[in-house]
Amino acid sequence: MARGAGRHDEMRETRRLNSAVHDPVILVLLLAGIFDGLSGNPVHAVLLIGVALVLGVRIDEPSTHAQEAHLWSRSVKTTWVAIGIAVVYAVAAGSFERYTWPATAVVVLPGLLGVTVAWHEADVGRPAPKPIGRQGAIAWASVFVTLGVWELINLLLQPSLAEGSYDHPTLSTLLEPLLAGHTGRSIALLLWLALGWYLVRR
Amino acid sequence: MNSHDAAIVVYSLFALAGIALELLSRSGHGDIPSLGTVLSRVMHSRSGRIGVMAGWMWIGLHYFAR
Repeated sequence: MARGAGRHDEMRETRRLNSAVHDPVILVLLLAGIFDGLSGNPVHAVLLIGVALVLGVRIDEPSTHAQEAHLWSRSVKTTWVAIGIAVVYAVAAGSFERYTWPATAVVVLPGLLGVTVAWHEADVGRPAPKPIGRQGAIAWASVFVTLGVWELINLLLQPSLAEGSYDHPTLSTLLEPLLAGHTGRSIALLLWLALGWYLVRR
Repeated sequence: MNSHDAAIVVYSLFALAGIALELLSRSGHGDIPSLGTVLSRVMHSRSGRIGVMAGWMWIGLHYFAR
């Protein structure tokens, strides 16, 4: 009996490891974390690799809070409260200079909250979305992949990876003037929070 | 037109392509889904959902965090 249970655990462990190794999301997060770390961004690296490892370890774990979390995020009252909190948060957080520890904290906190909420809402309690046709998948992938390639070309044409170029601007370089002031940072943070809210509710 | 202006034009073309696909998806012609539908599909699995949210978190980190 004990030997049977042991074999069952072993098989489950092998299946979980297999799922984790073959999951492209885990691979992408690990690679992004490694390269972000090599680029001198240890905080980014720790978070990305941390999410990848947690996802790998708990990839087969069933979601238990899905239904209630989903209902929580769909409430109209909650939406208005969240909008109010987000505006106040963005105005306050935008006062911090970029790349400082306070600015890091005000981004990491909602970032981790978003990932955690997404975790609890995963795969239960929502209808399966309709499949995407080949034509549609290719169309959207073309836009995002070529944008990524164009961004990479501009990045490699910079004087160095850390120094932006006027002649070959990346999106980050183009957004520099906007993010230099309090108002611009607050607007950008509000848009980022809105995007997170939109994604959590998908 | 210098290379800076050319880069802006190319970024604008990407934005226009995205808007065009979104409008096409709403017109009901062809087989183009909206971006929201694509995201819903990608985020239907746990790893897809966590991957997209980690990408969103990374955007915030990239522009603001140390």
